[in-house]
Amino acid sequence: MNAIDGTDRHVKADDTPPPSLLAIVLDTNPHAWAHLSNTLPLSSAVANLLVFINAHLASGNANEVAVIASHSHKASWLYPTPKSATPSSSSHNGTSNSSTNPPAPPENPNKYRPFALVESAILSNLSHLLTSTTEAHLASTPTTLIGGALSLALSYIAKSTLLHSPLDTSLEATALSALADSETTHAVRIPLTSRILIISVSGDLANQYIPVMNSIFAAQRKRIPIDILKLAGDTVLLQQASDATGGVYMKPERPEGILQYLMMGFLPDVTARRSFVMPSAGGVDFRAACFCHRKVVDVGYVCSVCLSIFCEPTLPDNTCLTCGSYLSLRTAQTPQPALLPRKKKKKKRVAGGTDSTTPGGTPVGSGTPMHG
Amino acid sequence: MSQAPAQYKKQDGIISLSDQGARAVLWKPNSGALHAVTIPVTDITNLQQTPVTAPKASIRISAQETHTFTLTSAAARDNQQAITGTLRKWIEASKSVQGGGAPVPTAPPAENGNGQSASMVMAQTASSATATARAEDDSFDDAKLLRDAELQRSLLSSNPALRHRFEQALGDKPDSITINQFNSQFWSTRLHNLRSHAAERAQGAGTYNVLSVVKPQEIDGGVKLNITKEQIQLIFAQHPLVKRVYNENVPPLKESEFWSRFFFSRLLKKLKGMKITDSDNVDPKLDKYLNLDDDPDFARQLDASAVPRFIDVEGNEQNHSQRLGNRADWTMQPNSYDKVPILRTLNRMSEKMMEYVPPSDGDRHGPAGMDEDTYKELQLRDLQRADDDNRVVLKIKDQGQLFAASQGLHTSSSAATYAKRTPAQVLSAVQRNFGGISGSNGGDGLDLQAAIGVVDDDSSSDEESASNKKIRIGSRSSRVAATLQINKAIRKRHLHNDDYLLSQNAASSEQAAQLGLSQSVFDTLTMTHNTTVEFLHYFWTVYFSGDPDRAIEIGKLVETLDKSLDRIKAVADSAEAERTAKVEKLVKDNETYTQRTGRRRKFDANSVTGGAKVVNNIASPLIRAIGSAKEQFEKALREQMGHSIA
Repeated sequence: MNAIDGTDRHVKADDTPPPSLLAIVLDTNPHAWAHLSNTLPLSSAVANLLVFINAHLASGNANEVAVIASHSHKASWLYPTPKSATPSSSSHNGTSNSSTNPPAPPENPNKYRPFALVESAILSNLSHLLTSTTEAHLASTPTTLIGGALSLALSYIAKSTLLHSPLDTSLEATALSALADSETTHAVRIPLTSRILIISVSGDLANQYIPVMNSIFAAQRKRIPIDILKLAGDTVLLQQASDATGGVYMKPERPEGILQYLMMGFLPDVTARRSFVMPSAGGVDFRAACFCHRKVVDVGYVCSVCLSIFCEPTLPDNTCLTCGSYLSLRTAQTPQPALLPRKKKKKKRVAGGTDSTTPGGTPVGSGTPMHG
Repeated sequence: MSQAPAQYKKQDGIISLSDQGARAVLWKPNSGALHAVTIPVTDITNLQQTPVTAPKASIRISAQETHTFTLTSAAARDNQQAITGTLRKWIEASKSVQGGGAPVPTAPPAENGNGQSASMVMAQTASSATATARAEDDSFDDAKLLRDAELQRSLLSSNPALRHRFEQALGDKPDSITINQFNSQFWSTRLHNLRSHAAERAQGAGTYNVLSVVKPQEIDGGVKLNITKEQIQLIFAQHPLVKRVYNENVPPLKESEFWSRFFFSRLLKKLKGMKITDSDNVDPKLDKYLNLDDDPDFARQLDASAVPRFIDVEGNEQNHSQRLGNRADWTMQPNSYDKVPILRTLNRMSEKMMEYVPPSDGDRHGPAGMDEDTYKELQLRDLQRADDDNRVVLKIKDQGQLFAASQGLHTSSSAATYAKRTPAQVLSAVQRNFGGISGSNGGDGLDLQAAIGVVDDDSSSDEESASNKKIRIGSRSSRVAATLQINKAIRKRHLHNDDYLLSQNAASSEQAAQLGLSQSVFDTLTMTHNTTVEFLHYFWTVYFSGDPDRAIEIGKLVETLDKSLDRIKAVADSAEAERTAKVEKLVKDNETYTQRTGRRRKFDANSVTGGAKVVNNIASPLIRAIGSAKEQFEKALREQMGHSIA
């Protein structure tokens, strides 16, 4: 056969690494940034982040980026700028003119145009977000809406993954097989490797335990690593996020060197990470937050039906607060440790008994039970 | 039998259990106001008693009607226990005798009209099926497992790793703990192992299709047949026909000859269910049995009434699939032996083997066929059009609404730091700061190089910033610090990854070498770790048992934990000694080198890894665990001392 058809039918496989989508969730909690203003002001952080984004875009022709601000009262897009603003908001923002029509990036011959596009979009959207923040927003909460921002990032990633392989969903047969086995079809897709980087400055995330945990599990399922750069605040929840999804967790000792952290720790994409030893945080705090008071608990109680976590065993009506099923935690309580032997007391009692009976002899002895 | 004073319908009387003739419950009134009551045990459908905590001790017996007896004697509670105990046995016995009779009575719902029934708590007589299940459960009862020394020994002998650990812990245990205490502690943390081992031992290997296992081998032209006595017995048991052939032919034939002929005969092929071809050996002696049925009395096992309809092959005759347009099915017809003999043979073999297996599904004495629940369970529900949705609906309440007390500024962990600034100040500060970079948007856009502050070729900038005491963003020192931190983390992860690999390959020598410890020290460290974890287990089980009788034990266990600390220290010391020796040797080597060549070699003692530092580093979580155990113990002890004095 080969002798007859001499053409070389060797198909050259595309062995370039797949495009990589980096979704960055920037925690823009003003409280925290104001607190950090002496060591690392927001402006410097953003500038460093822009350099990092450029590095990411430069390391692959098809690489993409998405930036989401997790603000104190809402999660909002920084890049790409949402296309269709609702009429009411556009009229509202008519004066600022920035959100309806993103200004054309300044023409600078010394700047690669894609970089300039990303830069101007992020800067204008972020400044718009900050100007629209009111004091009331800040007074109501000390933390940031990381759960919403994570969901936005995940949905954007899901959408981009679909957009990269438009053939798959158009066929009905594959839709059926996708129902039967989502994992295999996922493997067939033209891969878009995605990852999420959270730059976090706020603590108190435990009150969003449930939405964040759900996002983490979704990311885990889709094999999206969540990287964490924790500039300030307590660490509990996000550390679990990076650990569960196989991402990198970094809490810089010197936030001033943020660019170095970003470049060394977070630049490699999923494909590159297979060949690297990525930095690790070491011990991970695996504690969960309870559903009743949003406290982080060492030892908690879990509903056997819906797996809600409670910090104390006394529940109203012995029913689970979340799903309402009967849940008696009485038996789950550990008994109070008894560290003093009971024997001492016993001895006393025995001694007392003999004392009363012996001197009196039999008649008194028969009399005592009647008193007792 | 047992008798006790009891009230029935507010009348005093005597309740007794009669064992003469038919077993029954009797109640005789003291006065003549009421008739005596007799309840035959066979009629009893339900038996209830008040719980131990209830003030009144009463028994409720449901037969055709419900009778409630309240025991009135001083020892009412004991009487109640005795009576219900005996009754329960009787009922179970009578149920199992009834066998295939009436279906197992379902417990009638408790009537609430009785007034008293509210305090009545179910203590129903178990139907015989659940009774056997309970008996089975009992054999896996915690206390029983702990007492079963034989079981523990057999588990230890079957699990070398566990045995190793057991012996180690036994050797290291303090003298103050007796062997018995040690045993119970050791096993109380491993009840699940005991339980699974008990379950494992309770199962034996069943019989197997012996004819397919025995294979004659041709060696040097001759035929060699390896067949054991057990296999012969099994062949006879599984194939009565072979037994008959053997009986009738072996006196003329020699035993070995019989077997070698048999294993090449057509008879064997038939018994195995293989097709007989013309090329097969002809054996005049054995071939005459070919047409006989292997198992003439096999039919007796087929209890037609016991075959549920939907697995009954005969049923295929009635549900004629051809009429519905399907091709005739030729495998599942009842009388097509010669067509597919192997199916039939295999079926029969399985059936025979299953005979030796105790039934796991349902009660042997239960009603014939199967009960309603099983039948319903086996119905092909998913093919039915309108099937009830039997999922349990999980109603999740909105949690945000449940715990509306969301965090305000003042409840947060960072409240103190945030409270320094008012929201207005925060806002203006951040906006002002950010305006610095976004405001310059007009001209050429942001000059990133200036914004990130990295000035590489100017080394003096660091000195300046150091003198200014304010670390500049992106300064060389901060970048170096960041690099160091990341490198440290990478190295740590690298070590952990090796851990993971080693857990699969179990080559601890490499790990030991990496840490700079000798293999022996490393092994001792592993062992110390294992035993210490063991003792920590004991400590927490006893600590949380809340049993004052074990209070002395806790004290001893705390001493043991102290000793564990000493043991870790001993390992650290030996590791340190090892390292010192290593360093000394290197120094000596260097000296000889200097003497020999007259040159001096650089030597840094710090580059020699290992020693107490490494050991302490590895054992630090363990030491912390011991510390926290002791701390908690001491705190609780102080508190309780305070209470007992007060």
